[in-house]
Amino acid sequence: MRPLTPRRIMAICGLLFAVLFVVVVIALRTGAYPISLRDIVTTLFREALGRRDDIPLEFWQVVFGLRLPRIALGIMVGAALATSGAGFQALLRNPLAEPYVLGVSSGAALGAMLSLMVAPHIVGVIQLGAFVGAAATTAAVYFLGRRGGQLDSATLLLAGIISASFLSAAIMFLGTTMSGRDQRGMAFWLMGDLATPPSFHPGWLFVVLLVTIGSIYTTSSDLNLILTGEQEARHLGVNVNRVKLVVYLAASLLTGLAVSVGGAIGYVGLLVPHAMRMMFGTDYRLLIPTSAIGGAIIIVVADTLARTVVAPTELPVGAMTALAGAPVFIYLMRRRVR
Amino acid sequence: MRGTWRRRISAAAGLVALLLCGAELRGQNAVANSAGKIVTDETGRRVAVPADVKRIVTLAPDLTETIYALGLEERLVGNTEVCDTPPAAKTKPHVGTPISPNLEAIVALHPDFVLATTSINREETVDTLRRLGIAVYTSDPHTVRNMLDSIARIAVLTGAGERGAEMVAQLRGRLEALHARLTDLPLVHVLFVVWEDPLITVGQNTFVADALRWAGAESIIVSKQNWPRVGLEEVMRLQPEYIVLTSAHMKAEGNESTELQKRPGWRELRAVELGHVAVISEGVDRPAPGLIDAIEELARVLHPNAFNENGEQEKLKLENGARMPGATVGVKELCPCAL
Amino acid sequence: MSAGAGNGATVAQRPMPFAVDSGLRLKVEQASYAYAATDRSAPKFTLGPTSFEAQQRELVAILGPNASGKSTLLKLLAGVLKPLSGRIEVDGQEVGDLDLRVRAQRIALVQQESELLFPLRVWEYVLQGRYPYGRRLRFESEEDCLLAGNALAQVGADELRDRWIDRLSGGEKQRVILARALAQQPALLLLDEPTQHLDIGGKVELLRRLRRLADENKYTVIVVTHELNLAAEFSDRVVLLHKGKSLRIGTPAEVYERDLLEDVFGAPLEVEMRASGRPRVILRGSH
Repeated sequence: MRPLTPRRIMAICGLLFAVLFVVVVIALRTGAYPISLRDIVTTLFREALGRRDDIPLEFWQVVFGLRLPRIALGIMVGAALATSGAGFQALLRNPLAEPYVLGVSSGAALGAMLSLMVAPHIVGVIQLGAFVGAAATTAAVYFLGRRGGQLDSATLLLAGIISASFLSAAIMFLGTTMSGRDQRGMAFWLMGDLATPPSFHPGWLFVVLLVTIGSIYTTSSDLNLILTGEQEARHLGVNVNRVKLVVYLAASLLTGLAVSVGGAIGYVGLLVPHAMRMMFGTDYRLLIPTSAIGGAIIIVVADTLARTVVAPTELPVGAMTALAGAPVFIYLMRRRVR
Repeated sequence: MRGTWRRRISAAAGLVALLLCGAELRGQNAVANSAGKIVTDETGRRVAVPADVKRIVTLAPDLTETIYALGLEERLVGNTEVCDTPPAAKTKPHVGTPISPNLEAIVALHPDFVLATTSINREETVDTLRRLGIAVYTSDPHTVRNMLDSIARIAVLTGAGERGAEMVAQLRGRLEALHARLTDLPLVHVLFVVWEDPLITVGQNTFVADALRWAGAESIIVSKQNWPRVGLEEVMRLQPEYIVLTSAHMKAEGNESTELQKRPGWRELRAVELGHVAVISEGVDRPAPGLIDAIEELARVLHPNAFNENGEQEKLKLENGARMPGATVGVKELCPCAL
Repeated sequence: MSAGAGNGATVAQRPMPFAVDSGLRLKVEQASYAYAATDRSAPKFTLGPTSFEAQQRELVAILGPNASGKSTLLKLLAGVLKPLSGRIEVDGQEVGDLDLRVRAQRIALVQQESELLFPLRVWEYVLQGRYPYGRRLRFESEEDCLLAGNALAQVGADELRDRWIDRLSGGEKQRVILARALAQQPALLLLDEPTQHLDIGGKVELLRRLRRLADENKYTVIVVTHELNLAAEFSDRVVLLHKGKSLRIGTPAEVYERDLLEDVFGAPLEVEMRASGRPRVILRGSH
């Protein structure tokens, strides 16, 4: 009997952080501008030491203006999407549930686009619109996915796929009616793009993300129980309704935030929790943090590939995750039929 | 155990936050460097243009064409992979596509002046480059006159003021002359085909629509969208007098009219039946000097009578290769009574 | 023995072996319930006012045909439903007033298993029974592991410890679920038709185990069942329900009266009294 201990969690997270570090280093080194790793490190140090004026302008532009913001954004978007995927899987009792597949990402994108039309210059409005879009879509899919009062996994997925395509169509419709230059472009919303940092300071995003992931984490013991059966969990003293509400809001918020700054990037919430479960088990006290870090790793990798595979053209990062994600989705689906 | 955990997390969070603070970009552009000046570009942004522009990067084909027309090609260090007019432009280093250029590639070229245009480049691209401290001038050519002013301005900023003024004066002259010829004639209603399938035409706020007016024509479709999709039925209802295509769409040197006559829907159009299908240079797609050539071409097709009176053949060539070798020069009018 | 009539139930007097009832665990006083009708669920269903008590080391069987209110009564005992009238007390405290986690420390409900989303190891599953103790986000202590181990031993499932739950047989799974309930260290153990999917050997084994848990480990066990003979054989007392009314409460010998049973279950039955003092029900021949 080897119960999970905080020490084990820290050890595994430490390992994953190390992997993330390596991936970040590789991503920092990748790009059209020729700059050596040594120069990158020097630039980083000089900035940290406050000696900004010693850095050649172009090094600063490339490292702090282009690569680092993109990597930082990718880390946050990846962590958010993966954690929300893990949350949705527990909430909806379906290992294939994740924000993109369920159409929640598309709902968030639509919400963001609508709020752009209404009030484009108020900071945070887009995020709010995306959150509302995500939450509304989750609720809709939840209710559509029931059969005879119970959540039925096949019906749920079907409801998700249908709402995803409906919402994507709505996005395209909206995209063509919105006048030329004022929107981000449908490619951004539909396939994701990490090249543009948000209009507000990324530190805010980081804080909100941390708090939200933290709040899901506090329910991880409860989620472990709920996964063995809602009634059973109630009898063990879990306030099931409250936990579901918290996870619902948190996962919707995470999806909304991620989509509002990076567009709808798919399959991360599917690939990462699944991989983490395979490697480290299904205990949510471990799954939440590992998914977060794993999500960060995957997005940074995907984005780096997207930047280099057909250089100098950049592919949308969502294309890379879809290329990997869709086959895995099919594989998982088929395994369940067994 | 719990305490250590919390401390470690806060430490890590603090580190990341610190790093992210560093990621906030240096603010900008209002600083004039090397005794340059600060101008307002056509989108209202303030740009610090260096006094002596040496390294130019263009982010759209029309801007490349303009740079070549101004004779500044030696200072052009990079353009996009779709910049093909003039052909020499293809040999310059590329930074990607106008919509999604590779920002690092741009930085790697050490430009001191970047040209962008609202007709194809994205705001994000421009904003990101500006945040990096690079001077980006964005043009916004809605009309043909806009475009000429733009060219003149860019010429001044890049130190080719005289050349620019000359060229623009010439182009203006041609436009005025054309206007004079056509002034009493009724506008010909045309369908300008940007893309056939799906059928896309131009909106009233585009420079193409304005160019059409200069050529004595008017688009049958009135739309606020820049590139509206229309159904063929709507076109049939409106029955344009002429269909205008650009040479970019012609796959083979076929007989475009007969091509269209084969297609259902198209062949019901009176213009197609009558062979009133005009193919003009693709210069009409770009707000660049070649646009004037294209306008004149089109005017000749639509109002042939206006050009026969004087019996003069006006010189259309400009000195510096504004007329692109290899572009469609002649006019194709197809009508049963023609040769 | 008096027959039940109308709304009330009669509690047959039974001499208590010990005068002091220090072991009174469960006290049900005139508890009743009514479901509101919805479009999909069964029509209005009630449980008439019911009273009985259960001591430590007692195994009480709640008997009755389908739709007699057994599950409702069990849910009331578990605190899942709040009684429309009356009180239900465990160890002197009203069940409905208890905080969720405290209630889980007192009462464990063993249901028929539902589908696990992801497979778990047996020990992980049983450890979850320790959830009601400590903080919400918790990591199991050594004591927790010890108690979970004990629970597994109590159900004789020690060797299943490292197995995957989804690979167990029906009987093994049943034991593991029971172990998780025991890990809660409850005062009251409730089981809802636990013998449904078991063969006769399994049924007997389970009831024997429950009996042992009551006798040796001092649990109070309440079992909802419609297995007449098992109830007769293993329970100390029986609560007979029919159409929402508790018709009779008492020892099996007191409750099993042929006419009553035939009425309730609608089948031709015979009741035999055995030497042990416990009755046996058999199907009457002829037809």
